[in-house]
Amino acid sequence: MRLKDLSDRGLYVSGDSACAGCMAANIAINIMRILGKNTIGSVPPSCMSVFGSIFPKLNWDIPYFHMQFSNTASTLTGISRALKVQGKDDDIVVMGLAGDGGTGDIGLQDLSAAAQRDENILYICYNNQAYENTGIQASGQTPYASWSNTTPIINGHIGNPNFPKDIPRILMAHDVTYVATVSTAYIHDFISKIEKAKNMKGFRYIEALSVCTSGWKVPSQIGPKLVKEAVKTGFWILMECEKGKLTLNKTPEFAGLKEFLLKQGRFKHITDEETKVIAKHIKRRWNIYKSLEQANHFEE
Amino acid sequence: MLPKESYDDLITANQAVAIAVVRAKPKVIAVYPISPQTPIVGFLAQYCASGDLDSEYVRVESEHSAMTVVAAAEGTGVRTFTSTASQGLAYMHEVVAATGGMRLPVVMFVANRTLMSPGGIWPEYSDVMPERDTCWLQVFVEDNQEVFDMIIQAYKIAEHQKVLLPIMVCGDGFILTHTADTVEILSQKDVDDFLPPYEPKHAFLDVDNPLAQGIIVPPEYHMEAKYQLHQAMRNAKKVIKEINDEFAEKFNRDYGGLIDSYRIEDADYALVVVGSTVSTTRIIVDALREKGEKVGLVKLRFFRPFPVEEIKELLANVKAIGVFDRSLSYGSTGQIFGEVRNALYGETKPILNFIAGLGGRDIREEDIMTMFKKIIELNNKQPEDPIVFINTRGIQ
Repeated sequence: MRLKDLSDRGLYVSGDSACAGCMAANIAINIMRILGKNTIGSVPPSCMSVFGSIFPKLNWDIPYFHMQFSNTASTLTGISRALKVQGKDDDIVVMGLAGDGGTGDIGLQDLSAAAQRDENILYICYNNQAYENTGIQASGQTPYASWSNTTPIINGHIGNPNFPKDIPRILMAHDVTYVATVSTAYIHDFISKIEKAKNMKGFRYIEALSVCTSGWKVPSQIGPKLVKEAVKTGFWILMECEKGKLTLNKTPEFAGLKEFLLKQGRFKHITDEETKVIAKHIKRRWNIYKSLEQANHFEE
Repeated sequence: MLPKESYDDLITANQAVAIAVVRAKPKVIAVYPISPQTPIVGFLAQYCASGDLDSEYVRVESEHSAMTVVAAAEGTGVRTFTSTASQGLAYMHEVVAATGGMRLPVVMFVANRTLMSPGGIWPEYSDVMPERDTCWLQVFVEDNQEVFDMIIQAYKIAEHQKVLLPIMVCGDGFILTHTADTVEILSQKDVDDFLPPYEPKHAFLDVDNPLAQGIIVPPEYHMEAKYQLHQAMRNAKKVIKEINDEFAEKFNRDYGGLIDSYRIEDADYALVVVGSTVSTTRIIVDALREKGEKVGLVKLRFFRPFPVEEIKELLANVKAIGVFDRSLSYGSTGQIFGEVRNALYGETKPILNFIAGLGGRDIREEDIMTMFKKIIELNNKQPEDPIVFINTRGIQ
């Protein structure tokens, strides 16, 4: 599927109430341009459930199920099994779209269980690296040294003192069918991965980097630029792991990290020291992925 | 393989539940082990593997997911089943409430067990009582036969177009779940005739007819949705009775629908009881009747919807009433007592609330005898404090 082949009018329709510059809405629009009509969707409580589905308005032109914060993977499981037992599972994609908190914190338990059972579901996480909907509280995927309302910069505190969880790596450890990360700045890579996942059976997980203008404290027009720079600096790794075979899709330049961080108000306080810590963490994470890519895990 | 024809078997309530589920043919089952319902989890896995049951069996990682899976499957248009107890029910609470609100006719068996603290695995109704406001039908059963029969009836009630609400069938942990009793298993054909395959006519997930379920409903529209839930509960009263009568006519077992009674017609003193304690109370009613005491019992079956009119009618001619509760709303009264006294508002009959059997403490014949004695001893005078703890150290 080529970019120009994608329908202009997707099944995530216009008129939502997302903030100007919200990358999550951008992600939803592009996903639905690729997945098409034969999709059943579920979004847990998150920005997306608020800006895209408040009765009587609904921006999803597909069957849509809204459940609790922590049970998106189980919701998808129930839908998927019910389709299977009715013989309707062949051409219907059961897709969930959850934030980083709903995925990696409160939703990690049933996500892990659905992954372990290799449920026939497509789980997409839009990772904006904090609980943005509730007013910017740190999640398990908030970056080191980032400001949030629960990781303040005050009295010697540096912001978030912890490193973010690596959910793709956690799911790879479950030996699932497909794990990938995407950035809408690399739209061909994005299309190819969503389309590949659409046509696969089994547990599929895709994580998209999503800029939140109010949480990241950035102007509304620079989201697309930031998700590109995130890949270039190594802050966001583009990878896919298909049936245990890992491929890194783009080698970072590992340059311009401090400039990238300083464009974001959440990092405006950042010191050289803290930048070095982040750079070191980026490199280490890349090395782990690289070694996983290079090793031949299929040798008997 | 289980026989398809009708047969009698000496089985526990857990087995009776599992076999009733085979007969009811749900398409998706999601269960998680917790005492005292755990054997159901194993039985159903075996029936799915053996081919007795053609269902998707989901080995979920928690009760929260069990309820989520069955709710989502129900929302995709299929019949489902789950079961749990105690902490498991508490753990799934938020999804229980969502399921009621979405009008998804899930059937769940709850093996009643105390909710900590203190911890314990023995019978008490403190697990199901907190769920009374989640828009689920709640029915208490007395014995293993009633367990079997109610699981079958539960599907028919829940899926009725005028109801469309989930239902929990509540049976005493261990006393029923782990005690074998003779149960008549209805034939597959009889059950199929009584309970045809599920064909949802209401909203469900279908790519050719996109609809949304469970989304945010702002204040401008919210009240009407909640009003409809209350209407569905009201409708259920009539449907429960109709389905009970149809079952009674076909299979010759009449449970009375919302409520049942024993020797209440000319009774002066009545005890309102639920669950397996009803059986013990029948024996005591007979014993006291032989001594000339005009006593009777009201067997409360449905707690939601609550049979207000039926309670009033059954207790219209008695002089004094006792209400048994196997749980307590601390700082208030037993939950059933609260409902019964509410139903009798405006009447001045003396009424007592017996708190008994908490945490699985045995409810002996002499305990029921004590309850009746205390009702009779009221001498038509309203007690200052209605609450009486039965068989409790340090309490007279």
